[in-house]
Amino acid sequence: MSDEVLLRATDVVKSFPIRGGKLGTKKVATAVNGVSLDIFKGETLGIVGESGCGKSTLARCLVQLMPVTSGTVSFKGEVLTGRSRRQLRDTRRDMQLVFQDPYASLNPRRTVGDIVADPMRINKMGTDAVINARVADLFKTVGLDPSYVQRYPHEFSGGQRQRVGIARALSLNPSLVVADEPVSALDVSVQAQVLNLMSDLQDEFGLTYLFIAHDLGVVRHVSDRVGVMYLGQLVELADADALYDEPLHPYTNALLSAVPQLNDGTEVPRERIVLSGDVPDPADRPSGCPFNPRCPSATDQCRTEVPVLLEIRPKRFVACHHPLTF
Amino acid sequence: MSTNEHAAPVLELTDLSVSFSTRQGLIRAVDGLSLSVGRGEVHGIVGESGSGKSVAMYSLLGLTRDANASITGSVRFEGREILGSGDKAMQPIRGGEIGMIFQDPMTALTPVYTVGWQIVEQIRQHTDLTKAQAKARAIELLGEVGIPDAKRRVDSYPHEFSGGMRQRVVIAMAMSCNPKLLIADEPTTALDVTTQAQILDLMSRLRDVHNSSIVIITHDMGVIAEMADRVTVMYAGRPIEAGPELDVVRHPRHPYTWGLLGAVPRIGERSERLATIAGNVMSPLDVPVGCAFAPRCAYVMDECAARPPWSDGDHRSACWLSDTQRVALRRKES
Ligand SMILES: Nc1ncnc2c1ncn2[C@@H]1O[C@H](COP(=O)(O)OP(=O)(O)OP(=O)(O)O)[C@@H](O)[C@H]1O
Ligand SMILES: Nc1ncnc2c1ncn2[C@@H]1O[C@H](COP(=O)(O)OP(=O)(O)OP(=O)(O)O)[C@@H](O)[C@H]1O
Ligand SMILES: [Mg+2]
Ligand SMILES: [Mg+2]
Repeated sequence: MSDEVLLRATDVVKSFPIRGGKLGTKKVATAVNGVSLDIFKGETLGIVGESGCGKSTLARCLVQLMPVTSGTVSFKGEVLTGRSRRQLRDTRRDMQLVFQDPYASLNPRRTVGDIVADPMRINKMGTDAVINARVADLFKTVGLDPSYVQRYPHEFSGGQRQRVGIARALSLNPSLVVADEPVSALDVSVQAQVLNLMSDLQDEFGLTYLFIAHDLGVVRHVSDRVGVMYLGQLVELADADALYDEPLHPYTNALLSAVPQLNDGTEVPRERIVLSGDVPDPADRPSGCPFNPRCPSATDQCRTEVPVLLEIRPKRFVACHHPLTF
Repeated sequence: MSTNEHAAPVLELTDLSVSFSTRQGLIRAVDGLSLSVGRGEVHGIVGESGSGKSVAMYSLLGLTRDANASITGSVRFEGREILGSGDKAMQPIRGGEIGMIFQDPMTALTPVYTVGWQIVEQIRQHTDLTKAQAKARAIELLGEVGIPDAKRRVDSYPHEFSGGMRQRVVIAMAMSCNPKLLIADEPTTALDVTTQAQILDLMSRLRDVHNSSIVIITHDMGVIAEMADRVTVMYAGRPIEAGPELDVVRHPRHPYTWGLLGAVPRIGERSERLATIAGNVMSPLDVPVGCAFAPRCAYVMDECAARPPWSDGDHRSACWLSDTQRVALRRKES
């Protein structure tokens, strides 16, 4: 990991209009609410957080698959937000997204070989023979039999499709790969293979990853730094080991305590912190700290004042009025 | 543990096999799967990606639409044979007596209708609730799976939900009629740990209150630990180990299960490289006639050229290693 910033997000906001409820009442859901972060060249930044907290939306905004409502995203020093599709074409090739849904993101009418080859064809990466050889290589790399290229997505299992998505994202040698739950459908051994592969590619080509996952064990293994999101905001950001060993935000603490444990007798049982209170609603944010309605240590200050993400110790950022250990 | 172990099982699969004929050859996606699920019992299925878990569930429900599929064996639900019963006979069972959560939430959801409409339809097909009652139930269910502002979100379309929210909508639908049997294929893959805990809780409640049985497919051994009474481990379409959860996790017998348990990343530690199971994932076109795991097994012997029998007893496995060899190998490893 270097200290060269590859991608910088500044105060990114994304809201969606939402339908429903009483007639005529319009509401917006603010899925991403002012996220600022830097992704350094060659690092893996993990993002974790509750379902619906805005991880996929943030990912889409960063790779410009979705316009931001406000804020800026810059990549290799150039501002991307507000540019046209055509202006973004070259940049898009350099930042690839592995989609969360391995079913919906593969065209059912193309063979998986074509799905992986198409981006290379569009970008004229070589002759048919060169591209086909590369497809076969990519298939082997992600643990798929190259003889599968002629088959269609519906003939694949969930985990096999996920690997097709990874092969496609890697095909153009991007500098940044934003991987949204890339291994969620894989059994642990194939998952380990894919993760080891991603780390090999990183060593070899200096790839940078933004890695979204809900499996906290996986995130710890792959990430240099980890960001924790809650209700569209980044509430904690730190080096992976520091964050896991000594979480500062009460939400991070609760999240880590909820990881199910194996019954094989090798782990010390953990006390699970159960979060009470309502599930957060991006269309109806509480005043003050987004986590205050469920926080065991919330005070009046937390109910009125929004905490900002501050570097309270070297390389440890937290948005909390009462961080856990201080 | 099952409350009345001796009563007839709710679901009984005997030698279920599913193969697809493709241009490249025959794919035996499921190859002789047998298992039985008692009333109120949670049966976990784990196994390698592509080992036939989803195909087995689709075919037992008669949902394999591929014309090139051939399905054999027997599937008994509540004592009745249901394999090959046809859509007309299966319609009232699917979504009613048997709830299903598929790995791909979008197979159960239509993009063009609101999620509320879809849940209401499902409820009305299997109960005699009025439209208003069904809608109220739909809102209640969405709240139970943790969708905020369910009253409003019931009128949203699937694409307006996050991945995990869609998965939870499908879970709400599957639970809507308090099924006797719930088949859940990777129900929590898209969920963070806190939401997952809430969903597992909800499933346990279905079991506790309605004495429902559950088949849960997952690659998360933590989920297995939390939920399953019994576990079946699959490899290349075949069951390779099965038994009470604690026995399988603490005293795994099959080398594939050893590898599977060894590859789980733990949150308490961090190593440079994750443990994997050596060797390549096998092509389903050339599964060996003998033990399917043999090409990747560190302990392969001459015997492995023949397919190992499925041992008897409560904790079963299909492996040629003798108990003494096994104990010695495990001791040497640790
Ligand atoms: N329609 C089909 N035609 C040909 N092969 C198929 C078809 N459907 C599934 N398969 C193959 O059958 C095998 C079993 O697939 P299945 O979806 O059951 O795996 P799985 O155990 O659920 O895996 P995962 O954990 O990745 O979801 C795979 O090798 C898959 O490629
Ligand atoms: N197109 C859309 N229209 C309306 N609301 C949307 C849209 N896309 C996302 N949302 C809302 O934005 C919020 C964040 O969604 P997002 O998909 O980013 O969550 P996530 O963190 O990726 O969750 P998961 O872990 O479940 O995938 C959710 O409340 C979702 O309902
Ligand atoms: Mg998402
Ligand atoms: Mg599957």
